[in-house]
Amino acid sequence: MQSSSMINYDYSVAKLFAFATIILGIVGMLIGVLIAFQMAYPELNNLAGEYGTFGRLRPLHTDSVIFGFLVSGIFSTWYYVGQRVLKVSMAESPFLMALGKIHFVLYLLVVAAVVVSLLLGITTSKEYAEFEWPIDIGIVVIWVMWGMSIFGLIGIRREKTLYISVWYYIATFLGVAMLYLFNNMEVPTYFASGGYGDWWHSVSMYAGTNDAMVQWWYGHNAVAFVFTVPIIAMIYYFLPKESGQPIFSYKLSLLSFWGLMFVYLWAGGHHLLYSTVPDWVQTMGSIFSIVLILPSWGSAINMLLTMKGEWQQLKENPLIKFMVLASTFYMFSTLEGPIQAIKSVNALAHFTDWIPGHVHDGTLGWVGFMIIAALLHMTPRMFKKELYSKKLMESQFWIQTTGIVLYFSSMWIAGITQGMMWRATDQYGNLAYSFIDTVNVLHPYYTIRGVGGLLYLAGFIMFAYNFYKTITAGRVIEEEPRSASPMAA
Amino acid sequence: MFHWLEKNPFFFAVGVFLVIAYAGLITILPDFMNSARPVVGTKPYTVLQLAGRHAYIKDSCNACHSQLIRPFKSETDRYGMYSLSGEYAYDRPFLWGSKRTGPDLMRVGNYRTTDWLENHMLDPASVVPGSIMPKYGHMFNNKANIETAYAEAVTVKKVFNVPYDEKDMPKLGSFEEAQKLALEEAKEIVDNMKNPTVKEAYAKGEIKEIVALIAYLNSLK
Amino acid sequence: MDMESIRELQAYGYAFASVFFALIFYGYIYHLYTSKKKGGKDYEKYAKMALDDSLESSPIEKVEPTKKDKEEQ
Repeated sequence: MQSSSMINYDYSVAKLFAFATIILGIVGMLIGVLIAFQMAYPELNNLAGEYGTFGRLRPLHTDSVIFGFLVSGIFSTWYYVGQRVLKVSMAESPFLMALGKIHFVLYLLVVAAVVVSLLLGITTSKEYAEFEWPIDIGIVVIWVMWGMSIFGLIGIRREKTLYISVWYYIATFLGVAMLYLFNNMEVPTYFASGGYGDWWHSVSMYAGTNDAMVQWWYGHNAVAFVFTVPIIAMIYYFLPKESGQPIFSYKLSLLSFWGLMFVYLWAGGHHLLYSTVPDWVQTMGSIFSIVLILPSWGSAINMLLTMKGEWQQLKENPLIKFMVLASTFYMFSTLEGPIQAIKSVNALAHFTDWIPGHVHDGTLGWVGFMIIAALLHMTPRMFKKELYSKKLMESQFWIQTTGIVLYFSSMWIAGITQGMMWRATDQYGNLAYSFIDTVNVLHPYYTIRGVGGLLYLAGFIMFAYNFYKTITAGRVIEEEPRSASPMAA
Repeated sequence: MFHWLEKNPFFFAVGVFLVIAYAGLITILPDFMNSARPVVGTKPYTVLQLAGRHAYIKDSCNACHSQLIRPFKSETDRYGMYSLSGEYAYDRPFLWGSKRTGPDLMRVGNYRTTDWLENHMLDPASVVPGSIMPKYGHMFNNKANIETAYAEAVTVKKVFNVPYDEKDMPKLGSFEEAQKLALEEAKEIVDNMKNPTVKEAYAKGEIKEIVALIAYLNSLK
Repeated sequence: MDMESIRELQAYGYAFASVFFALIFYGYIYHLYTSKKKGGKDYEKYAKMALDDSLESSPIEKVEPTKKDKEEQ
């Protein structure tokens, strides 16, 4: 195998997943905005009969942003970054090319099955693992295909040492595989009962407290391995490449990797504080959540220091803006999370809107911005076109940032207000408020949150438009830029 | 040694896997047997209640309602006795929820009646002014899935030794017997309801989702 | 085995494994930061992999061609 100038990197699979990222992103965020407004204006629940109620749409929102927007973003960047840091083209292996394309087609089929089944109310009720067993099998197949693609490409690589991003992609693959398999252990009732009832129905292998422990071991770490690990993989490639600066300390990136891998998995217990889970599991969950600040900040600081001496790029290049804000939000939410995991804070915050608030600074700020920046960086290189409009990106950045600020600030206030009202007592020691009082007081915050979400969605649609115009009307570029992405004013 | 690992993707992957699997091994496995022991007096759900539980899951009631009372005075005052691990021994899946947009339902059967639940599910704001809960009118039209509930009960009895058909425990029997039992159990609830569609359907031997749901909610004590 | 002895074994196993992992981790840190001085690897050079990633540029460390590849050439 001799490298020749005839071969180029082949981005056909990366492109397909990039389209999926954008379309599923719009769908997921649109549903998110709708259900946010449903909480402020409950009449919006009646738009589509039983299929339009909050209960049916909430899992569809979480799953379409996580497994639609985010996972296709991960796949898209893998099929781009993987080739480049391993210095091998997918075009060199017809097998890997075919595998990648089948991977995409199967992925779309499973997405369609998920949408239909969740709208029909076919769900196991476990958060982020709502799919019944036939879909679970489909997901496992897709995941295995991705694994084959990762290790297949590694098998034919030219660069011997694996770049840090590849480490993170491998960890994503393994972590999600382990968590998903164990959390979705279930017995199909149709077969076990000898042919009664719906064939797709299943019952969990774990009961009660055990089920809760396994679920939050999954639920928390799904966040780790889908919201954090692959996004770090992206930023370790795209930030240095776009800015032309090598990572501040490559050694620190390796250390934080092992630190994160070891610590993250312990923290799941913090979702179950004051529940019937054994005390020591709760305490472990609390302690490790706080230890988790170290490796998280290790990565985040490493990213920010990469820009050392080059901060003028922040002004000139909107992509750098997106990435620097993403790492700032990463620091912010990895500090907020451990604070919420302290037992006494958790007693107040748990079950309130502060939790969705925390999730959204991570997802909108860190994950969303990083994927947007990654796609913007990839677009000119995949399509050989100049980015259509810098102005549009600038305004998208500010609109979305405003949206995130509205989102988390309103949810902070809402969560703490609600938590305080639930426990407030009058002078005789009786509860001061009925439950509905604590709901009615939240109306303005729910409205502000809805507006914040709407701004973020608007920014995302601007991004989609920019992407579309780049492909159809962008100026053709002859040579691939070494660092900063070319863009028209 | 370290550098060797960085160049050998297979052993690198094994290393990563060991490191991430460690926490799960330590925190989850050892308490498995212990947490699964039922509290004395806890019974598995009847087929009708199970069908109601499926309706509860189908519309993701757990997205807004928890079923976990924490040991704080403000919670026990509001919702009743705090939760014990053994009370969940027959909950597959668990329905603790993660967000209280509405109140906790762990012991809702203690303080709400069939009549109240019927009105509330049809139009929550008519019973609780200012409520932001959606109307669940479709539960009055959809048929409860007794067959799937029966399949689940049979499955957990066979696979996990859940004590159906034992002394003082709910009866299952054959599917025909189970259907008959479910109809009998539903009668008391339907008698306490006003909705004509539900009553007409019951006269024809059909159980609506709402009836099963109320049976389930009434059983939560 | 009763619950208590399982607990005890678990506690020992946990303590041992944690110390073991911590030692490896510190060993790794020591290795990373002394490797260059001892004439071994300079880890920072790998950061260039992201910057210099075109298909034509030469790898930092080439994969050794296997015997089979050599025969084919």
